[in-house]
Amino acid sequence: MVKYTLTYFEGRGRAEVSRLIFAAAGVKYEDVRIGFDKWPALKTSGRCPFGTLPLLEVDGKAIGQSFAVARFLANETGLAGKTNYEKAQVDMIAYAFKDLGDEMVKFAFESDEAKKAELTKKFLTEIAPKTLSAVEKLLEANNGGKGFFVGKEVTWADLAFLASTDDLVQFKDAKLLAAHPKLEALRQRVSALPKIKKWLETRPETPF
Amino acid sequence: MAKYQLSYFNIKGIAEPIRMLFAVAGVEYEDIRIQPEQWPSEKASGKYPFGSMPILVYGDIKIAQSFAITRYLANEFGLNGKTNLEKANVDMIADALKDIGEKIGKLFQEQDETKKAEKLAEIKRTDVPTYFGALEGILKDNKGGDGYFVGDDLTWADLLFFSQSEYYPMMLNEDVLISYPKMKALRDRINEHPRIKEWLEKRPKTEY
Repeated sequence: MVKYTLTYFEGRGRAEVSRLIFAAAGVKYEDVRIGFDKWPALKTSGRCPFGTLPLLEVDGKAIGQSFAVARFLANETGLAGKTNYEKAQVDMIAYAFKDLGDEMVKFAFESDEAKKAELTKKFLTEIAPKTLSAVEKLLEANNGGKGFFVGKEVTWADLAFLASTDDLVQFKDAKLLAAHPKLEALRQRVSALPKIKKWLETRPETPF
Repeated sequence: MAKYQLSYFNIKGIAEPIRMLFAVAGVEYEDIRIQPEQWPSEKASGKYPFGSMPILVYGDIKIAQSFAITRYLANEFGLNGKTNLEKANVDMIADALKDIGEKIGKLFQEQDETKKAEKLAEIKRTDVPTYFGALEGILKDNKGGDGYFVGDDLTWADLLFFSQSEYYPMMLNEDVLISYPKMKALRDRINEHPRIKEWLEKRPKTEY
């Protein structure tokens, strides 16, 4: 029986896609969440390959970098797509949401109020709509967009999308998904999968 | 018979590891280079899923996002490690190389010469030792570090490293690898790989 330990801060952030993969696959793991005060010690402990979180430890091996972790777990649990091409399509979509996350980080930590407002506006009116349109087109190209992003089954591309929407829905006024009904339908479809639904209901509520 | 088509600008950049993959695998492809003045109409054509390059087209297959493309081809050509764990290590190394590559690239774009010198000193003091120290460690842990980053064979992580190392003297004002002997030796080893050597001789010569 393989033992997985996933370590991250007390939030969804860059670990949530991996937690969703564990949930969807029905695989048990230790969901370690550390406070910011504990981070300096962990960072210098040498356990994190590049001094960053999330960190996956499995059978004495350590893997860092959020998407290296997610893709490994998806490959191990059959949630990565079936062919090299499907895996590439999954990657492409997952990266689109990672980029959105990186853009959000830019204004989330901006201390200059004016700059923050400017970056937020650009995100909500240009960057996010552009990305959502592009991924919705890819969804539609897969059987009219009535199923999942890639192939016939859920993959971690759908889970990366779900994790991203946790942050996007916080911008209530922008109603980012309202302009993309097929994406909203996908969000509901993935959220309703029994194992995902259970995780969404029982996971800790966190601001990020 | 379908032929691979890779489209990018006429620079090395993030497409160069992909071109090197084709070279090492000995696979023919169309190395399409879009000139800056062509790009606006290309972009508006709708050919590019995310309005960006590189993209790879191969018959019905179309993939955007540089790492999605690189990983796809590496999987197809057997240059992505043998197990899911090896692939995860390749991914982790590639993501780290991308992170430090972006930090270096960003400081290189600084216009103010004084600020640039300050940022350069800072990056050499902090990020370079953090990332390169970790990479040197990972390389050494792989059977002493006289082979490749992961497993027994060349992977796209090695090619990504080699491709990025071409920029170090220009962007960091020195050959920073002198302090990281195993990585330096790996770079020199790849430089001597017959198919890489051949590509370096025949590829278009561009500043970036």
